Amino acid sequence: MPNSFVLVQKNNHVAGLTLNRPAVQNLINLEMAQEMDEICRQINQDNDVYVVILTGAGNAFCAGSEKEKSLQSGKKQIRCDEEIARKFNVAASIASIEKPVIAAVNGDALGEGLEIALACDIRIAAPQARFGFPDVASGLIPSDGGTQRLPRIIGRGKALEFILTAEIFGAAEALETGLVTKVVPMSDMLTVEVDTLAKAVAGKAPISLRYIKEAINKGLDLTMEQGLRLEADLYFLLHTTADRTEGIKAFQQKRPPEFKGQ
Amino acid sequence: MSDFEVILYEKKDEKGYITLNRPKFLNAYNIKMRDELFEALSAAKDDPEIAVIILKAAGEKAFCAGADLSEFLTAPPPVAARQVRFERDVWGLFLSIKKPIIAALHGYVLGSGIEMAMCCDIRVASEDAKFGVPEMGLGIIPAAGGSQTIPRIVGRGYAMEMLLSGRWISAAEAKKIKMINRVVPRTELLPVVEKLADMIRGYDKMALEFAKQAVVDGLDLPLAQGLELEARLSHLLPI
Repeated sequence: MPNSFVLVQKNNHVAGLTLNRPAVQNLINLEMAQEMDEICRQINQDNDVYVVILTGAGNAFCAGSEKEKSLQSGKKQIRCDEEIARKFNVAASIASIEKPVIAAVNGDALGEGLEIALACDIRIAAPQARFGFPDVASGLIPSDGGTQRLPRIIGRGKALEFILTAEIFGAAEALETGLVTKVVPMSDMLTVEVDTLAKAVAGKAPISLRYIKEAINKGLDLTMEQGLRLEADLYFLLHTTADRTEGIKAFQQKRPPEFKGQ
Repeated sequence: MSDFEVILYEKKDEKGYITLNRPKFLNAYNIKMRDELFEALSAAKDDPEIAVIILKAAGEKAFCAGADLSEFLTAPPPVAARQVRFERDVWGLFLSIKKPIIAALHGYVLGSGIEMAMCCDIRVASEDAKFGVPEMGLGIIPAAGGSQTIPRIVGRGYAMEMLLSGRWISAAEAKKIKMINRVVPRTELLPVVEKLADMIRGYDKMALEFAKQAVVDGLDLPLAQGLELEARLSHLLPI
């Protein structure tokens, strides 16, 4: 099955993923979610990919999901609905990627669209991008990690405000609260900004990138003592890599290193 | 509708208003206030007509300047103290409320005052608000959850600074470190809080309750378990 709802482009160790339903603001449908899940699996196994960029085609990043449409309305079918709902969970697929993922938030990131952005590691936004969880306004709650990842990223107080009020907020507030790390001044600068960052990250040793992501994500769930132990273990494992030797050699010979992910 | 002496309790349009009302004493928290807050919070918690709780304070100078020190040397005997811990656990009650609670903060927000504010979900402050944890200067530590709630809200670094040094911070600095959500002019404080409350009370009560539970309980769990909690709650809501 050729991919159509998610475009994939590989270039110099950077995999660019584009949500591709621009006519409907890249709303997630079942096909897109299933394609994305498969793509994320492949990226984890593809040793040639060091860094991932995620963005949306057209004017929106992703304005939400068609999940609710697919669920039986009004009937008590919780188990069946839960199985269907989980198939739509694109943020869960993105979060399973073990390599750094950069979100280029080119436009609105709402509902599940925001959950997807939150599942990435670094978020950079265009100035016109808007963010929000409209879920409680429809008697629902975010259900692809939004209630868990938003407070872990911007803190409890602001997260409760955004989720309980269902308000839409702009890029400036997203920057102020730490939801995104950068807002480019003009929307056409987003691609260059993100590509430059991705290129810089892709120049680092791929295994250490994975270990850093693991140390931070797992470490936040551990006690400090356990987290320090994890960090030390991963650090000493990196001493066994060929890239580590190459890094030292390149430094001594005053040249850029050539990492191979080995 | 309120027979209380040191607080006011009112209901309007699904909003439950609890007002600290000892303005002459900068709304200092005393035993009477503890007992009355306990009753008002219990009532608001159980009242199906209330969707959102607003915690505010009377007078111009203070939300609450801390515990009433004049009562400090009249400590109850241990038996009474233990009984209070079970029967009048205001902080435990605060944290057990599943409805959204919004704090409207002005003037001095110190000691017990800041701790009360930290038990709320959304905090709006006026420009004149000042925040501080003065306990260290009295040879005691915060006893209404401050040592737990403040670092969970502003992070370890700022919490340590405030708790250890006792330094007061302005509304602007409190906003910067995310201790509060918004800063508004004094005259706008209640209108902004009511506008937020009105927006929130328009939503389904169970969805609000589950959203709050997912965020608050989820933060005490590892991410994977938090995600499971969210999924379970989300599927309990009728589509």
